[in-house]
Amino acid sequence: MIKEIWSDVVKPILAGLAVTARRLKRDKSTVFYPEEQREQYPRTRWRHVLTRYENGLEKCIGCSLCAGACPARCIYVESAENTDEERYSPGERYAKRYEINMLRCIFCGLCEEACPTGAIVLRKDFELADYHRDDFIYTREMLLEKMPVKSDR
Amino acid sequence: MQTATEQELVTITVNDQEVRVPKGEMIVESVKRIGLDVPIFCYHPRMKPVGMCRMCLVDVGMKQKDGSVRVMPKPQTACTLPATEGLAIYTDTEQIRKDRKGILEFLLVNHPLDCPVCDRGGECPLQNLTLIYGPSTTRFVEEKRHLLKAFPLSKYVQLDLERCIQCGRCVRFTEEISGDGQLAFLFRGALMQPQTYELTDFTSRFSGNTIEVCPVGALTSAEYRFRARPWDLETSPAICTECSNGCSTWFDHRVGEMIRINGRTNEAVNEEWTCDKGKFGHNYLNSPKRLTTPLVRDGESLREAGWAEAYERILAVFKGGGGAVAGLSGGRPSNESLFLWKRLFTERFESPNLDHRWHVHLPGAGETVAGRHGIREVNTPIAAFEGMPAIFFFGGDPAAEQPILYLRVRKAWFRNEAKVIVAAPEPTEADNFAYCVLRYRPGSEAALLGGLTRLLLEKAGGVAGADELRQAVARFTPEETEVVTGVASGALRRAAEAMAEGFATAASRTLYNLPNGADVVTALTNLAISAKSADRFNLFATEANEQGALEIGVLPGAGGLDTRGILEGCRDGGVRALWLLQCDPFERFPNRELARQALENVEFLLVQDIIETESFHHASVVLPCCAFSEDDGSYTNMERRVQRVRRVVAPKGHAKPSWKVFSELELRMTGETPPFSAKEVMGMLGSAAPQYQVSAYDHLEGEGVILPAEGGAAEPRLALPDYDAMEGSRELV
Repeated sequence: MIKEIWSDVVKPILAGLAVTARRLKRDKSTVFYPEEQREQYPRTRWRHVLTRYENGLEKCIGCSLCAGACPARCIYVESAENTDEERYSPGERYAKRYEINMLRCIFCGLCEEACPTGAIVLRKDFELADYHRDDFIYTREMLLEKMPVKSDR
Repeated sequence: MQTATEQELVTITVNDQEVRVPKGEMIVESVKRIGLDVPIFCYHPRMKPVGMCRMCLVDVGMKQKDGSVRVMPKPQTACTLPATEGLAIYTDTEQIRKDRKGILEFLLVNHPLDCPVCDRGGECPLQNLTLIYGPSTTRFVEEKRHLLKAFPLSKYVQLDLERCIQCGRCVRFTEEISGDGQLAFLFRGALMQPQTYELTDFTSRFSGNTIEVCPVGALTSAEYRFRARPWDLETSPAICTECSNGCSTWFDHRVGEMIRINGRTNEAVNEEWTCDKGKFGHNYLNSPKRLTTPLVRDGESLREAGWAEAYERILAVFKGGGGAVAGLSGGRPSNESLFLWKRLFTERFESPNLDHRWHVHLPGAGETVAGRHGIREVNTPIAAFEGMPAIFFFGGDPAAEQPILYLRVRKAWFRNEAKVIVAAPEPTEADNFAYCVLRYRPGSEAALLGGLTRLLLEKAGGVAGADELRQAVARFTPEETEVVTGVASGALRRAAEAMAEGFATAASRTLYNLPNGADVVTALTNLAISAKSADRFNLFATEANEQGALEIGVLPGAGGLDTRGILEGCRDGGVRALWLLQCDPFERFPNRELARQALENVEFLLVQDIIETESFHHASVVLPCCAFSEDDGSYTNMERRVQRVRRVVAPKGHAKPSWKVFSELELRMTGETPPFSAKEVMGMLGSAAPQYQVSAYDHLEGEGVILPAEGGAAEPRLALPDYDAMEGSRELV
C-alpha cells in the first residue's frame, strides 16, 4: 500500500517539481509590458508610416495605388501638383491629403506592396488603441516620418 | 448613306471560324462580329484608318481552290485590310503574339512609364495592352528621351510629349471630326510630335475630345489634372444640360463632388463626342456659391430658415394670387419640374402669367411657326442630318449654338458630301466646309431670305398660294439683294441652285432676338415651304429643356402676361409677386434696365436657383434647388428627344428637387395625395400633354425617345412678313 502511494503519488509529484526547479534557472518569457517591450519580428506589420528620402522630400507621389489595392478601402488620397515654391516630393505630383481609417485597416500590407516608390510602409509600432473614433483617422501629418535630423537643405 | 452595293456580303474566316461581313469592311471591325478584339492604338472606329501604330497585326491567308489556306509570310494591319471573299484571318498565332510583344517593346522604348503620376493611369490603353500582350520587363537600359512635360496646349488640354506614341488620333480628330485642323504633326521620326501651329493656342470648341481619344496620357485635361485616379471615381450616366443638344455623358464623381465629364456613346445624339462647354463647363456644381438652404428676408438681410417657414411665406403671397402673381422660368428645369410648376400656377394660384422665353420677340400663340404656317418648329432629328443632301444654316454660328449638331452636319459633308449653305453676318466655323457662304449685313436677314425665296419660287413652282409671296419678293432680284445685303448675286444663285432640290433648315430661336425677329422667322419658314422642305424645317431651342418648356406649355395662358409684360407689371405694380425658377433676368433679359426696375419694385420676389445669381440679392425668399445630377428627371432636347437622368450625387445641403417643392406646396393647399417620385410626375405629364405618353420611365432607357408628332400633317401655309431690311443696313457698306 505504502509502496503504491510512493510510486503513484509522491514520486510523480517530486518529478514534476524537479521539472519546475530546472525551469527556474531559465530566462522568463513574460515581460512587464508597458515598461518593457519585446522585440518584434522582422516582418511584423503594424502602424503605417509615410517615409521620406534622405533630403527630406516625401516619397509619396499621391498616385492612389495603395487606395486601389486596399481590400478594406480604408485609404483616401487626394493629390496636387508640386510647384517650385512648394515642393513636397520629387516629380510632378504629391499627396495633398492622405488618410487611413485605422478602424477599417486589416494590416494586410497590400498598400505597401502596391506602392511604386516605397513610400508607405507598415512598421512595428502596435500601440494603436485610442478613445475616440475620430482619432483613428490617421492624417498625412500623423503618418509622415519626422524630417531627418541631418538636414542639408 | 448606305447603299445596296455597299451591303454586299463576303465570307471570311477568322481563326477558322466563318463569318459573313460587308465587303470592304476593315478586318479590325469584322473580328468584333465574333466577339474577338484586335489590340489597337491608332485606329478609331469613327476616323479613317491610317495604320500608324502597327499594333493590330494579324496573319492573313487566302483560301485556295483546293480548300487549303495559303498564309502570307508577313502579318498585316487589320485596320487597313478590307474584307474580301475567301480571306482567312488569324489573330492569335505564335508569330502574332511575338509581333505584338515586339511592337509594344518599341513603343515603350520612348515611353517614360510614369504611370503612377499619369492621369491616364488605370484607364490607359497602352497600360492595358502592355499587361495583356507586352513584355514584362524592359531590355532598354539607356537614357530615355526627354521632351516637354505638361505643356499647356490650351486652357483645357495639356501635352506631355514624352508619353506620346504618335498614333495621330488627336491630329485626325481635328482634321476629320471637329474640322478645325488645329493640331498637326511637327518633325519626323522619333521627334514627331502633335502640336498646334506656331504661336497659336489649341482653340477648338471640341478640344476636350482629344483627351478622350488619346490612347496614352499624352493629352490630359488641365481641369482634371491630379484630381483623382480612375479607380477613385464613381461613374454614372448623365445628360449634359449646358445646351439643347442633350449629349449623353459619363458623370464621374467622388465623395459627392463632380470630378469630370466624359462623352458617353449615344449614336442618335452625340455619337461619343462632347463639346468643351459640356466637358469643362460643369464646375458650378462644386461652386461655394451653391445655395444649400432656404433663406427668408428679415429686413435688410436674408437669414437661413426651414422649408416650412419658407412655404408659409410663399403661400401667404401666392395662394389665390390670380393675375397679381407671375412666374418666369429658364430653360434648365426638368420636364417634371416644369410640369408641376405650370400646374401650380394655372390651377392652384389661378395665374396665367407664366413664361420661359427671354427673347426680344415673344410670339403669341398665332404668331409662332406652328400657329402661322401650320408646320412643326422642329422636324429633323440630329442623326437625320447625316443623310441630308443640302443643309441651310441660318443666322448664327452653329458651332457655338449647337455644337453637336454642327459635328453631325460636318460629318454629313465629310462622309456624304452634303452641300452646306451657311448664311451668317459673321465668319463661322462652318465656313471652311460650306458649299456656299452668304455673308449678309446685320439687319438684312429678311431681304436675303426674300432673295432666296424668289429664286426658289422660280425653280420649284407649284407651291399652293405662292402668288402673293411671289409679288412680295419680286423686287429681290439677285442684283437688288446684293445691294441690300452685300451677298454677291452669284453666291445667292449658287445657294439657290443647291437648295432647289429641298434642304434642311437649321436655325435657332435666337433669331427672335433680332430687331425684326418675327419677320425673319416667317421669311425663313416661307423659304423652306417654297422649296417643299417644310418637313425638314427646324427652329431649334438653345437651352437644355427649352423645347420641353414649349411642349409642356410654360407660356402665358389666356390673357396672361409674357416675359416683358411680367417684368413691366413688376415695375408698375400690376404684378405683386414674382417667382424666378432657375433664371436670372439680369443675365437673360435683353433690357437690363427693365429687369433691374422690375426686381427692385416687385413686392415679393421668390428666387429658386442652384447658385447665387444677381437676382438673389433682391429676393424675399430663396429656395435652393437640385442640379441635374442630383435629381431624377427627364429633359427634352432640341430634336424633341426625351432623355432621363437619374440621381447621381446627393443634393447639396437641404436642397430639394424642384418638382418635390411644387408638390409639397400643392399638398399644403389642397390636401390631395402628392406624387412621390419623378416617375409618377411623368405619368401625370403624359395624361396632361399626350405626346409625353411615350416617355413614361418604363420605356425611357438608352437613347431616349423622340416625341411623336401631334395631329396629322397640315398643309404648310405661307405668310407675308415684312421683307424690308432694317434701316441702316444698306448704308453699312
